[in-house]
Amino acid sequence: MKPSSFRFRMQVRSWKTLAVVAAMLAIPALGPAQAQSLQEKIKNHQPVVVVTEDDYRPFEYIENGKPVGLDNELFQLMKADAKFDLRQEIIPWTGLLAGVSSGKYDAAVTGSLINQERMKAFDFAMPVAANMHKYLKRKNDNSIKSIKDLSGKTVGVQSGSVLFARLPELQKMIEKTGGKMGKIVQYASYPEAYQDLANGRVDYVVNVEIGLLSVMEERPGVFEIGQPVVESPSYVGWPVKKGNKEMLDYLNDFLRKVKANGKLEELQKKWLKTSFKNLPEHVEPNF
Amino acid sequence: MIRDFAVALAHYDAYLNGLWNTLWLSAATLVLASLAGAAVAALMLARNKAMRLAAAAFVDAMRCVPFLLFAYLVYYGLPALSLQLDSWACGLIALVIYHTAYMAEIVRGAWTNLSREQIEAGRAYGFAGFPLFRRIILPQLFFASVPVIGNQSIYILKDSAFLMIITVPELTFAASSVQSTYFVPFASFVIAMLLYWLVTLGIEAAVKRVELAAEVRRG
Amino acid sequence: MPYLPFLLQGALVTASISLVAIALGIPLGLALAIVRWQRIPLLSQLVALYVSVVRATPAITLALLIFFGSPSIGIVLDATTAAILTLLINTSAFNCEIWRAALIDFPRDQLEAARAYGMSPGLAFRRVILPQVWRTSLPALVNEMTLLVKASPALAVIGIVDLTRAASRIGAATYRPLPPFLAATVIYMLMVMLLVVAQRHVERMVRERYGTG
Repeated sequence: MKPSSFRFRMQVRSWKTLAVVAAMLAIPALGPAQAQSLQEKIKNHQPVVVVTEDDYRPFEYIENGKPVGLDNELFQLMKADAKFDLRQEIIPWTGLLAGVSSGKYDAAVTGSLINQERMKAFDFAMPVAANMHKYLKRKNDNSIKSIKDLSGKTVGVQSGSVLFARLPELQKMIEKTGGKMGKIVQYASYPEAYQDLANGRVDYVVNVEIGLLSVMEERPGVFEIGQPVVESPSYVGWPVKKGNKEMLDYLNDFLRKVKANGKLEELQKKWLKTSFKNLPEHVEPNF
Repeated sequence: MIRDFAVALAHYDAYLNGLWNTLWLSAATLVLASLAGAAVAALMLARNKAMRLAAAAFVDAMRCVPFLLFAYLVYYGLPALSLQLDSWACGLIALVIYHTAYMAEIVRGAWTNLSREQIEAGRAYGFAGFPLFRRIILPQLFFASVPVIGNQSIYILKDSAFLMIITVPELTFAASSVQSTYFVPFASFVIAMLLYWLVTLGIEAAVKRVELAAEVRRG
Repeated sequence: MPYLPFLLQGALVTASISLVAIALGIPLGLALAIVRWQRIPLLSQLVALYVSVVRATPAITLALLIFFGSPSIGIVLDATTAAILTLLINTSAFNCEIWRAALIDFPRDQLEAARAYGMSPGLAFRRVILPQVWRTSLPALVNEMTLLVKASPALAVIGIVDLTRAASRIGAATYRPLPPFLAATVIYMLMVMLLVVAQRHVERMVRERYGTG
């Protein structure tokens, strides 16, 4: 009994290895779906899909089951205007940019920021907002009054965001005052970060000022906004996969139209509390 | 796709860091939950009815609750009790309490299945008290439970991944972080999956080793 | 509690996705087990590999891989399909081992008797093997169902508004996360206990109809 079962086990092990190798070799052959151009999709009656984040006030979020916010309202205008099948998918931030870069989505209509790393993989439509990053602290936390006091304190920030990527600038600012950057906790989305700020698990949260103003309005009396944590503002723009000129032109044409007819300014005032009159059409960030 | 794997693997330090945290959490949970589980098992077999019922209720409750929910309850519940602990500590506490229940069940099962004859024979030969426990009872308990404990440690390993949701920087969190920064989701999560698989194969190999030793012992 | 309807909606999503995955996972697991039991060359090694890797993968990692990773290999899935697929792949691997254990333990003499009577393998399987093997596998299969429900919170990360995500949203909106999470925990426990009670009921029914033989 023993010898034959041993031989069978040997056979099985080599079969298993063969199967593993075969499976691994198959992977490089797979690749993203052939990215179809906008014209091709329209001609073949295929839907054009944009993606939006599910919980990022005030740019896009869900209220009573309905998507609301600046980007969602702009999308509704786009959809009403489009002469083809334009659809929207709403997913968590984690897979949003990867979905655009792999061709699953034709564009992201979202509050994403523009930086050099992202410009390697995406082209951005003209910005819809510009903002400084600031920190948010608990109102009753008197130990934080300036950047100097952030030394050693725990910060909460969204994972995979430019807010996180630009933290080294804050680190320099803290070190200049003789302090040290504290622990960095990364969250999948900002609502969870704000919650942990409220219950004391983190000491401050870094986000664009527009986002912080929004949570101040949502939860009055709980938080307070501090000083800027970056030297220059970040721009909010909609990404398309790099090289997708047709989709980029489509988005830019739409944005120019709503700028011209005043709708953009109206929505900016409604959701962002401020209008951005002099945004450039193309930005080259130095971070 | 090869390019994607190259990009992901260039950040191998992130994966190794995450893997280390995963292994550390799992090993610590295994040790602490085994000890606590043995204690709870003792309560389950105690003379006092109240202790028995309390222990049984704890074990039954933990086995009906999804681990992620329990982790959330610990994560948000402790601050409510004015206990300000970071996500690491909360994650470890959740893992230990949760798996203590399962370990208690395993230990209790091994205890009640002890061979009465061997123990009586041991007593007949003059073994009693601690030597009886150490030479006769404990080896039986150990060899009977190792396969089941090995299985449970794989469950502990997999449950540790849920902790990424409460921001514990373990392996899946690391994979998610790399892919959301460099846009390589398939490659990143496949790497994580393979790492979990390798650890599991290691655990299964270790369990087989112990089983072989048990066979040799039994003669 | 004003948020209860939202929680119950999430519970409905959890229940429906779980039920679909359970319903598809049992026959899929059986199919995989048969491939291994029959030792079909190459396929059975691939199934062994699949089972080994999937059983080692945490549900949350699998969900992230399937939903966020699939576009990179040319597959486009919406969140719900990805969710069902995640639970299905996970449970099929465990179910395969459950069915396989029962098939391996199946008495040889019955198989030989069936062959002696001229039964085709398909007929023998349907009329002789399956009726007995499903009774043996039932407790483990129902246990796996409870494990599936307990793993389903993993789906919250891919944006499915299941019971867990609903509770999390409520907590993030009210800044009082404990009440919704406690309520969600109770609802999950009820779902699991329902499955356990159903299993005991079916076991009793099987025992009464077929005896313990």
